[in-house]
Amino acid sequence: MTTATTAHDELHAGAAPPPHGWRRLLAPGWLRVPWMSALFFGIGLGITLLVRWAEGWHPIWDGQVITTIELVAVPFGFLAGIGGFDYWTRYAIGSPTQPEDHSGHGAYSWRDYFRINTDHKVIGVQYVVTTIFFFVAAGLLAMIMRAELARPGMQFVGNQVFNELFSVHAALMIFLFIIPAFAGLGNYVIPLMIGAPDMAFPRLNALSFWLLPVAGLLMLSSFFVPGFGCGWTGYAPLCSTHQELGAVFFNMGVQWAGASSIMTALNFLVTIITMRAPGMTFWRLPLLVWANFTTSLLVVIATPFIAGSQFMTMFDHIMHTNFFNYEAHGYVLGYQHIFWFYSHPAVYIMMLPGFGIASEVISTFARKPIFGYRLMALSLMAILVLGFSVWAHHMFVSGMAPWLRVPMMVTSVVIAVPTGIKVFSWLATLWEGKLNFSTPMLFALGFVSMFVIGGLSGIYLAAVPIDIHVSDTYFVVAHIHYVLFGGSLFTIFAGIYYWFPKMTGRMYDERLGKLHFWLTFIGFNATFFPMHYLGIQGMPRRVSDYAPRFADLNFFISIASFFLGASTLVFLYNMIVSWARGAPAPANPWRAHTLEWQVSSPPPVFNFDEIPQVVGGPYEYGVPGARHAVFNGDRVIEEEEVNV
Amino acid sequence: MRRGVLVRLVAVGLAAAAVASAVAFFVPWLPTPASKQADRIDFVFWFVTGISIAIFALVVAVILYSVVRFRARPDDDSDGAPIHGNTGLEIAWTAFPAVLVTAVAVVSAVALAQNENLPKKHLQVNVLAQQFAWSFSYPKYKGLTVSALHLPLNEAVELKMRSKDVIHSFWVPQFGQKQDLVPGITTKLVITPKRLGTYPVVCTELCGEGHALMRSEAIVMKPTAFASWVKAQERAAAKASQGPSGGGPGLAVFNSNGCSGCHTFKPAGSTATTGPDLDNLPADARRAGKPLSAFVRESIVDPNAYIEKGYQPNIMPSTFKSLPKQQLDALVQFLIGGKK
Repeated sequence: MTTATTAHDELHAGAAPPPHGWRRLLAPGWLRVPWMSALFFGIGLGITLLVRWAEGWHPIWDGQVITTIELVAVPFGFLAGIGGFDYWTRYAIGSPTQPEDHSGHGAYSWRDYFRINTDHKVIGVQYVVTTIFFFVAAGLLAMIMRAELARPGMQFVGNQVFNELFSVHAALMIFLFIIPAFAGLGNYVIPLMIGAPDMAFPRLNALSFWLLPVAGLLMLSSFFVPGFGCGWTGYAPLCSTHQELGAVFFNMGVQWAGASSIMTALNFLVTIITMRAPGMTFWRLPLLVWANFTTSLLVVIATPFIAGSQFMTMFDHIMHTNFFNYEAHGYVLGYQHIFWFYSHPAVYIMMLPGFGIASEVISTFARKPIFGYRLMALSLMAILVLGFSVWAHHMFVSGMAPWLRVPMMVTSVVIAVPTGIKVFSWLATLWEGKLNFSTPMLFALGFVSMFVIGGLSGIYLAAVPIDIHVSDTYFVVAHIHYVLFGGSLFTIFAGIYYWFPKMTGRMYDERLGKLHFWLTFIGFNATFFPMHYLGIQGMPRRVSDYAPRFADLNFFISIASFFLGASTLVFLYNMIVSWARGAPAPANPWRAHTLEWQVSSPPPVFNFDEIPQVVGGPYEYGVPGARHAVFNGDRVIEEEEVNV
Repeated sequence: MRRGVLVRLVAVGLAAAAVASAVAFFVPWLPTPASKQADRIDFVFWFVTGISIAIFALVVAVILYSVVRFRARPDDDSDGAPIHGNTGLEIAWTAFPAVLVTAVAVVSAVALAQNENLPKKHLQVNVLAQQFAWSFSYPKYKGLTVSALHLPLNEAVELKMRSKDVIHSFWVPQFGQKQDLVPGITTKLVITPKRLGTYPVVCTELCGEGHALMRSEAIVMKPTAFASWVKAQERAAAKASQGPSGGGPGLAVFNSNGCSGCHTFKPAGSTATTGPDLDNLPADARRAGKPLSAFVRESIVDPNAYIEKGYQPNIMPSTFKSLPKQQLDALVQFLIGGKK
């Protein structure tokens, strides 16, 4: 795939020639990574030993402390080596900054995807491909778990390894797949949708992406340390003082992933607020842009809390602080309050962009305006605000102050109202439409129906007496998979299929796409629906072994989960083969109105050869003569539109 | 909306509701309730299920109807009707769910208050959890401590629960009630058993490597049977403390460290099966090829040194190596029971 244009080649005229010989070791890139990583390793080691020697702490060589420091130092070395900090370092030390020659922009060969690249479209592709890699890795971990759970008793792995499997499975799926996959899709389409040439901070954007592989590798390597077997929730004191060093790999992995998502969110906010094309008022934004706007607000407000919680457990673990150590009057439940103050909003971080994608897809394939556009946008804001007032519904049985439960139940069930508005509006958008059942639409409709089941089981969990019964059981496992798999993942699939022609310039195979949908839809329900029953009947979550009376159903679930896992192969095959050999995509295969479809597939390096003038809403299907935007050639001058 | 459309929509909705209701009623979803609290939980469960079926049927009806009725023909490139919204509808689907969820919240709050109401006359049981065992003691019966929860029928019980190490969670599915045990604080749970039987006690909060094995039993007995069980336990405890093995201090160490939570050992009257049966220690020592007393001592302070066939390493806590020497000696003496 190439995105070269002649306009861009002209910009290249002033670029410096590439370095030769040993100087290549100094240029940002993979040759600089090994020695810079080693250098930072040495610096980290030196500082640690020096401080321990100077303070008289024995032993001076403490593996735990050194490893923890290196989990910060080596990634910095990697990022410095690949060139994440070059521009700012030069600026900070007073060297003359290099004028931007756009040589780090756009992709002309596959190599351009493996370096620091400041083009939001390249970064979007980097994000999506990387997150799919971690999705497959985390999915394979789930397959091992289901193999172990197919029969009662222990067959393939030990208890501790099993605990590590589900911990890393969840950590990867949440921090390295769902959250960044939405960030990646947003990265690609948001600047296009609002008529901007790129994100507001392209270098920060590049850095945000390269933090992800670091976070993912930390979490995967926790298996070899060993010992991250305390669940992705990382509850203290199990995760702070009763775990091996692997838990620290999780703590630090969350920091890198969290920093990445905060920086991206900041970038989205500034881009959306300041870089909209003329005429693109907030009430003309596509709903995906609204969704990423609210999600980004959630990220920048909430993510620092999980960063804090993970630092505190890590300090308890390594530095023997007593934040959550009850023996020294630490506050054990404090961890859960801080953790869920992030992690409940995180559910919406993983859901709102999916709402946005569903709105785009359903409107386009129903050939109808989104029903109640303004209420759709406002309900996103309502979820944003309410999302911060419900965290303790994860703690109804935790032993927290009992009076807190009923208020938290009330706010939790009230969130059903804005969520219901969205579901009913999508349904009303279908009504009297002209429905086209391409793969993105199938996944969007699959999302709506599965998300309704996940939302309804959420009502059960919000009702305190029922929650007391099913808390920490397979009912919860079923619920979160209906929300995060049936919800988030279905919309991610919808988004990937929907924008695949735009991103790659090629069409995917529609028949394989539909096959993928049906296999996934059936496999998903067969795997997760019976888990409701297991949970209510008495099977707790996070166990490697269970009572013999649950054997038959678990066997069925395991078989279904292998079927579900195999359906992913269809997806991967379709994506890889279509990207290489698919039919060339037209600029606007779905006849959509939003701006990303008004430019070529893939778009020019700087997105728009001429700045679009937005003159109406994004979903004016069926309105005679209505347009979302016009380009210079056929601009309609409207006085009140120009000065926005 | 035309009348024909409405009739067809309602028909699809009723069919969906019928299917969902059949799944709800013909699958025995809930465990047979064995406590008064579980009855109230079940009521809330069915209340929410009724509402859920209605909403699910509505959504399914609209989706199925739309998929069939509004499908575009392959050659049809036209757009749908340009409907931007309908204020009345939007108000309706904001207000109606708000009323429904308010009803759910009210019903839940009432059931919760009733479930936590503790009558004056009740039995108190102290629950102690540690990796990976339960122990239950009865202050009313001179601190009688056992590894399986025994309860008299129809008498309210208050569990006062503490944890020694990490967070655990107490759950008996048939009782419906659940509560975490948090190190450093005492949590409470109210249960009124109403059905005789033996039910599983399950730890539902991930507590470490042996989490999946942290199980015990709750046994609901007739009040008379419970009274005679208490007497028998008290007699056995008295006998053990005066027995030939010099149980006294060793038995106390055995009980206070929760050994009875995982191990069967006749002199202590314990019957748990998470770990190996300690009545077979001499045979185990022969298999390990070590003198009995050295073997027992090693197995306490370094549990992974020898793992009996059929059991897994790392389940027994390694914290017992910090027992004071005096207590450790007494415990070893008690366990080998005078044998060499």
